[in-house]
Amino acid sequence: MSLAIAGMGWVTPLGNGVDAVWKRLLHGDEASATPISEQFGDRSYSAFRVPESALTGLVHPRLRRASLISRFAATAGLEALQAAGVKVDSQSAERIGLIFAISNGGVIYTKRFYRDVVETGAQAASPLLFPETVFNAPASHLAAILGLTGVTYTLVGDGAVGLLAIKMAEDVMTDQSLDYCLVVGTEEVDWLLCDAYRRWRLLRSAPPIEPFSKQKQGMILSEGAGAIVLARLPRRSAAEVEAGPITIERAHPGGCYRKRAEAEEILTRMLRDLTQIKTDFVISSANGTFIDQAEQVALERAVPNAICYTTKPALGESVGASGLWQVILGAQALRYGELPPSLHVEPNSSLRVSFSRMPVSGARRAIALSSGVNQQVAGVRLAIR
Amino acid sequence: MAQLGNTTGEKTPERVAVVAAGVVSPLGFGLAETLDSLRHARDCVAPVTRFSVAECRCKTAGQISDDGLLTGLTRNLRVKRLHRASHMVIHALREAMMQVPQFQPELTVIGTTSGGMSYGEEYYRSLRQSGNLRHAPTWIANYPAQKPVIDAQEEVLGFSVPCQVIANACASGTNAIGHAFECVRSGRYQRVLTGGYDALSELVFTGFDSLQASTPEKCRPFDRHRDGMVLGEGAAILALENLELARRRGASVLAEIVGYGISTDNFHITQPDPSGVGPRQAMERALQSAQRTADEVDYINAHGTATTFNDAVEGKAISQLFNGVPVSSTKSMMGHSLGAAGAVEAVVCLLALRHQFLPPNINFDALDDGLELNVVANESRPAAVHTALSNSFGFGGTNASILLRRVEA
Repeated sequence: MSLAIAGMGWVTPLGNGVDAVWKRLLHGDEASATPISEQFGDRSYSAFRVPESALTGLVHPRLRRASLISRFAATAGLEALQAAGVKVDSQSAERIGLIFAISNGGVIYTKRFYRDVVETGAQAASPLLFPETVFNAPASHLAAILGLTGVTYTLVGDGAVGLLAIKMAEDVMTDQSLDYCLVVGTEEVDWLLCDAYRRWRLLRSAPPIEPFSKQKQGMILSEGAGAIVLARLPRRSAAEVEAGPITIERAHPGGCYRKRAEAEEILTRMLRDLTQIKTDFVISSANGTFIDQAEQVALERAVPNAICYTTKPALGESVGASGLWQVILGAQALRYGELPPSLHVEPNSSLRVSFSRMPVSGARRAIALSSGVNQQVAGVRLAIR
Repeated sequence: MAQLGNTTGEKTPERVAVVAAGVVSPLGFGLAETLDSLRHARDCVAPVTRFSVAECRCKTAGQISDDGLLTGLTRNLRVKRLHRASHMVIHALREAMMQVPQFQPELTVIGTTSGGMSYGEEYYRSLRQSGNLRHAPTWIANYPAQKPVIDAQEEVLGFSVPCQVIANACASGTNAIGHAFECVRSGRYQRVLTGGYDALSELVFTGFDSLQASTPEKCRPFDRHRDGMVLGEGAAILALENLELARRRGASVLAEIVGYGISTDNFHITQPDPSGVGPRQAMERALQSAQRTADEVDYINAHGTATTFNDAVEGKAISQLFNGVPVSSTKSMMGHSLGAAGAVEAVVCLLALRHQFLPPNINFDALDDGLELNVVANESRPAAVHTALSNSFGFGGTNASILLRRVEA
């Protein structure tokens, strides 16, 4: 089932707003790394943080005590709905589905809550913080802000979860009682996450992220949110046409791998499935970790001629948000016929990488490919009508 | 939900069979032990042993023994190192797959609230207290919510299928089953594994305690003296298949899932709308999706956490829609297993349909004055049960109900 992308919203370390972030990426901008330290930690880490200016203007009583992750999600979700021209009222409130993609969730408040328990004892546990530690808190806040009363799901997983959420939206939209589905991917970064990924040998101490590098020096974590409004194609509204002619032509459920070799096989199979129709470029999820090699092997096997772009050197690895970011990038590239430069990729890469700003005018189809570091992979095919 | 095959002339919805089920909970390991505990109204809540609760108001929970979990698992060291949530899912999936060894799922949809949270706790404590971090990579690798699902697929099936892990707070398990049901019902999938899991963790236990949602007393759903919930843990897996295909291959059908309703109420992040609109809409939508009337429901397995708010709101919604249908909350016997609860309680409904009895609501003395419910008090009893409704409601105002039907042999 094809679904139209009726609107998009974007909050990133390069700022917020789809067009503003897109311009910066085209320009070759790279987010600035911020040091993150912790009172009891013996080292500090680098992360790409969302600038405070990206969240100004977002005021709602429901967000008064909400964590950053909920604020990112609300900002991106509201932008996407506005771009789609979708108004929520008593009639439409149950006809708009909401699907969230999250990996680590509200880790800042979770850590703060548990810190009080460990340091002071259970009697110091905060009843205000605890609800914000729950995975579906960001979805709950956005549903409340919008007044949505129908289908709301929070999907958890690794870096592939954003595309899995789009697959879920495709399944959910089979239900004729839904007109739209708002899919939001969101994540916040914290020292604890950086430390965990470092101990797992997936994090590097400072930028740059070097995608597809044999050195596999790791990623830099980032934060933010991405949101898209999906609409069923037969019901084209004026707003949808205005928002653009980009569709999710096919969402693939992907698979789960145990070892890298299995990831290569699943990715190759999935790419072959998705590229039965000619594909012009691929938005890769390469992030400088072991999984890049699996992705590279699969790309070389299945779509050796496709142009490849990865945004992670510029925006960082935002895990739960990353799949939505890739889809937004793919949609923008199809719409404007241009790919931003892929930063810090080795010049002798065997892949056809967009090393500099590259025209792709006339491109009809693109793949967004997500290979998570926690055993999940997924993909979607975008098309321009 | 699922307005398929309606006046728009679209495809007729497929019927959805439950062809296998597996469960592990404080009530026991497997369907037989669970049935026995339900029939004998066993109180499986006990003092918490996994972590200190000295400073908590509540001291009890429904727990699964580690010895039991490790029994029957492979001797493989890697499997032993997995999080106990993985062990629970392995047990439940293994029991289900023994009933349908040839089952080839296309998708797994599982609910949870906290994944491998206790490993996250160990990691944090070790960091904070400059402890031994030798096991940190194991804790970190086994923390993600999808890990127990992938572990269980690998251990039991020997292969992996795509998985969707739904974290809709306490409604996760029912949401997972409901979404899986709709995947098969729409004809997009033929066979889907579904269910839920959650293992007890200090962070979550302390969190509910901080909200004063958990009780120092017995868990007494719908009772006038109820004082809160007790937590639990467990896992349950259901194998769903297109009913037509299942019959064609001669599969034994445990029950049919006929309806699913989901709603969101935006009243408060931890409290339901006092009007009962959220739960009522979920139940109404489940009935509507099944094209059944409230009169056709023979038993309701309530969310019934025994908190003042939940039971008042759920009780109100039930009495607005149903007239004297027997209701019980089996959480009174095993505690609230959060993301697993909807799945474990779906299994309770399966057993009620298969064995024609009403599972009990224990620790029940007298009905709350404000409620009009027919509570199955303290003892199970034989009954003709053809249709059962299972409710789950969670933080964030997420509400889900599924409707199951007995399938005559």
